[in-house]
Parts: sequence; structure tokens; C-alpha cells
Amino acid sequence: MPLGPFGLDPAIWAVLRLVIAVLLAVGLVFNGALAQIYLERKIQAIIQDRVGPIHTGPWGLLQTLADAVKLLGKEDIRARLTDRWFFLAAPAFVFSPMLASYVVIPFAPGVVGADLNIGLLYLTTLGSMTVLGIVIAGWASNNKYSLIGGLRSAGQLISYEVPQILSLVTVVLVVGSLSLTQIVDSQPGIFINLLVLPLAFVTYFIAGLAETNRNPFDLPEAESELVAGFLTEYSGMRWGLFFVAEYGEVTVVSSIVTTLWFGGWHGPWTDIHPLVGPALGVLWFTLKTYFFVLVFMWIRATLPRFRIDQLMSLCWKFLIPVTLTNLMVTAVLLLAFPDDKLPVAIANWVLLVLFAAAVPYLQRRRLAALRQRLATRRLSLATADRPS
Amino acid sequence: MSFDLIETILFALLTIGIVGGAVGVVFLNRITGAALLMAFTFLCNAGMFVLLGAETIAAFQVLIYVGAITVLILYGVMFTPQQERPYGLFFQKQTPWAALFVAPIGIFVALFAFSFRDSENPSTKGGDLVPLATSVFRDFAFPFEVASVLLLAAMIGAIVLVKRDDE
Repeated sequence: MPLGPFGLDPAIWAVLRLVIAVLLAVGLVFNGALAQIYLERKIQAIIQDRVGPIHTGPWGLLQTLADAVKLLGKEDIRARLTDRWFFLAAPAFVFSPMLASYVVIPFAPGVVGADLNIGLLYLTTLGSMTVLGIVIAGWASNNKYSLIGGLRSAGQLISYEVPQILSLVTVVLVVGSLSLTQIVDSQPGIFINLLVLPLAFVTYFIAGLAETNRNPFDLPEAESELVAGFLTEYSGMRWGLFFVAEYGEVTVVSSIVTTLWFGGWHGPWTDIHPLVGPALGVLWFTLKTYFFVLVFMWIRATLPRFRIDQLMSLCWKFLIPVTLTNLMVTAVLLLAFPDDKLPVAIANWVLLVLFAAAVPYLQRRRLAALRQRLATRRLSLATADRPS
Repeated sequence: MSFDLIETILFALLTIGIVGGAVGVVFLNRITGAALLMAFTFLCNAGMFVLLGAETIAAFQVLIYVGAITVLILYGVMFTPQQERPYGLFFQKQTPWAALFVAPIGIFVALFAFSFRDSENPSTKGGDLVPLATSVFRDFAFPFEVASVLLLAAMIGAIVLVKRDDE
């Protein structure tokens, strides 16, 4: 009989390996969420000229831990008229796809749960499953604010999935593989994909912000309009699960950005020693990922929230045409010059500059049209009011 | 315990999931519950594809059916006005007719299913990425394009239908 690692039966090892991997991922997600909530509070405090949490533990480090214990100790409340099973299941529907995403994220050479050859497709698939959980949460709460939040979220997530996937496809075209490990391997040293595909990075980042319901796209839970959106009826650890899922999702999007555009685990000294190298790889990967997590927080503290029609028109009238153009240009150039990334890079930079230059122009035209419409309406009102 | 046994157990679980979910979709009175069970059936179907070694198709199954179509159906269910009469009124009074139409189809399906009993196992790489891409974009490129033009026409039609005149 063939023996697996540690002299175990391969069938038992397969199950054991699954259990270990899930426990690791759970630990990673929960600790990551704790760290990110602390970071978020501190960074928002710094940007808003406050001090943030300081009392619990050194520099307030234990504050989020205390909050987590408080959440765990809370009574599990469910309003009587909520839809029982859906209400209880919705946090799991949101949480488990996020957890499953960690399977394919390559932390270092060899440190990856499963190197699927469709890794990127798998990630987008899991990202699209979150919608179901949020819609169910909004529906099951039997509350109009929850329902509006849930439906808004569904519209937003389904719309922004399109530019997100189109940006990812551009990278896949250039690299020629959906496997995340191969995508990392294709960017040795300083030749990261950002130099080749900056426009795809920008569009993906915007779409990623929307996919994770973060500011300025946090309409599903807009406090000023919807109480807390689909979270309104939730409390205690069920609410906590939604929150952990959101932070986990932010980490997943950041690590996709790291993997696809910033060289993943690559960094200095990763090949000095077979044991030290992977550890350093994990370190570089984590540092790069958390840099983008910090950018998410920075954006959250800086930008105001979009209105729902602005959100939709940004996606359908700007992001999708931009990503489609980018995809077509990249595909044509790759057909014309199969072994050379330089033309693609030049085209991408030119497109980025063009679109960035077009934004103020478009904005000015939109404002002018708005003023025009307001003026005509005022005129018609004035003529209607005139006594005849 | 070996991998073959695990595979059989998984197959059994997925089959129960698919059949049970489908039965639930038909018989459940709560329409949102039925929609969710349909998503569950699709998920089990994706599991079947994974068992067959067609991970790409499984991923597309989840991406399109669970992530998009079920959500659209839920949308439709939530925006359809609730009526006072019970849901079962219309569809559950035509049992003899239904039986008449279902029975012949059922016989063919059963015959078709049993015709696979003695055939050899399908190749496990049938749904892999590269063969799939070659067949869609090279061997069957024309039907694929025709299908996408059809979808485009349907989409334009829908947009024209719902476009308001006052804008």
C-alpha cells in the first residue's frame, strides 16, 4: 500500500489535509479581520486628526479583540417575523465562498492550497456567489431597509462583475494562463504586470472596491439612507460573520491585485535558502497585500459615497466601454506580436493617459448638460406660473 | 477506505442533492425557497462536473447559474405582486394531463440513461480548459457566434421594449 506524508494512508491524509487547510484559512481570516479592523480605526483616526483606540492594551491593540469577545457573548436575536432558515443561513452563504477563495491564493512557491489550472476563474466564481447570500439576507430580514440594501447590492455586484472579469481577462491574455502560480512566475524581478497593463489594474481596482461593498461604493449598507442595509436586523456573531466576510473579501481582492499585477511573492532574497525563501515569499506577499488593504482604507476615509444612479452609470457607461476597448486592443496586439509585450504595454499606457484625460472633459460636458436641463425647466416653470 | 469509495459516496450525496433539490423546487409552496433549492441543485450539478474532471464547466456552472440566473429569478420573485389565492391553484389540478405528457418522455429518458450502463468511463479530461476552448472557439466557432448574435438581438429587443418615450 502506498504511504502518504508522515506514514499515513493517502485517503486519511487527504481528509486530514483538508481539515488542516480549513482551520488555517479560518484562523487567517479571523485574525486578518481583527488586524484590519484595528488598522482601519487607527488609519481613519489619523486621517481625521483623532487618536483612535488607545485605552485597551498597548496603543489600543486589544480593542478589536475586546469587541470580538463582546460580539461572541451577545444574545442571538432573531425578530419573530423574519424568515427563519434563510435568516440563519445567509451569513454562511456570504462567509463560506470567501473562505473557499483562500484555497488558490499563492502565498509563496509551494505554499498554496491547490494550484488549480483555472484558479482565477475559481476566484471570480466564488466572488459571484456572495450576491446570493446578501440578497437572501435582505429578503429574509422582513424589513424594507434590508430589502432595498440587498437588492441594491445584487444590482451593484452583478454590474461590477463585468468590468472586473474583463480586466482579469486582459491579464490572462497577456500571461496565457489562468493558474495563479503561473501568473506569478510570469513576472520575474521588476518586470511586473503593472508595467504592461496599468489600465486593467485601475479598472480592476475600481471594480474590486465595488465588489467588496467598500467606500465609495458602500450603498448596500449606506447608513445615512438605509439604517444599515441588509445588516439592519442582524446582531451578535451573525452580524460579525458578515463583517469578517467583508474584510476577508477585501484581503482576497488585494491579494488578487498583488498576484496579477505586482509579482505576488517575488521580492529580494527569496532564493537564498530552500526554507528561508518561501518564508520571505509569504512575507513579501503579505506586505504587498496589506499595502492594498491600506489603500482601501485610505479611500474609505477620503471619498464620499456615490449616488445609486452615479454608481450604475460609472459602471455601464465608463468602466465597461473602457475595459472592452482595452481587451480588444490587447487581443489584437497579442495576435500581431505574439512574443512581445512591449506593444501591449505602450498601447495600455496610452489608453490609460487618454481615459484619464477624458474624465474631466466628460465631467464638464455632463455638468453643462445638467445646467442646461435645469435652466429649461426653470424657464418652463416660469412661463407656466405666469398669470394669463 | 480508498479514493474510489470516497468518489462513490460523493456521487451518491450529489445525486441525492440534485434529485431532492429538484423535487423540492417542484413541490415547495414557498416560491423563494424553491428558487434557493434550484441554486442548490445547480451547485450539486457543478459538483458532478468536478467529479467528472471538468472543473472549468463546473466553475462556469456556478458563475452563471448560481451567481447570476438564480439572483435574477429571486429578483423576479420579489418584484412579482403577491396574490391572495394559493400558489398551487393553477398547476396542481392537471395531474392526468401532466402524467400523460410526462410518461412518454420519462420512458425515453430512462432508456437513454440505461444505455450507458455497459459503456466505458468517459475520459476525465473532457471538460478541461484547453480542449473546451479549442472546441468552442475553433471547431464550433460558427454556432458559437450565431448563439451570441441571437443573445445580442434578444438584449437589444428587451432594451427597446422597456425604453420610455419621455426621455
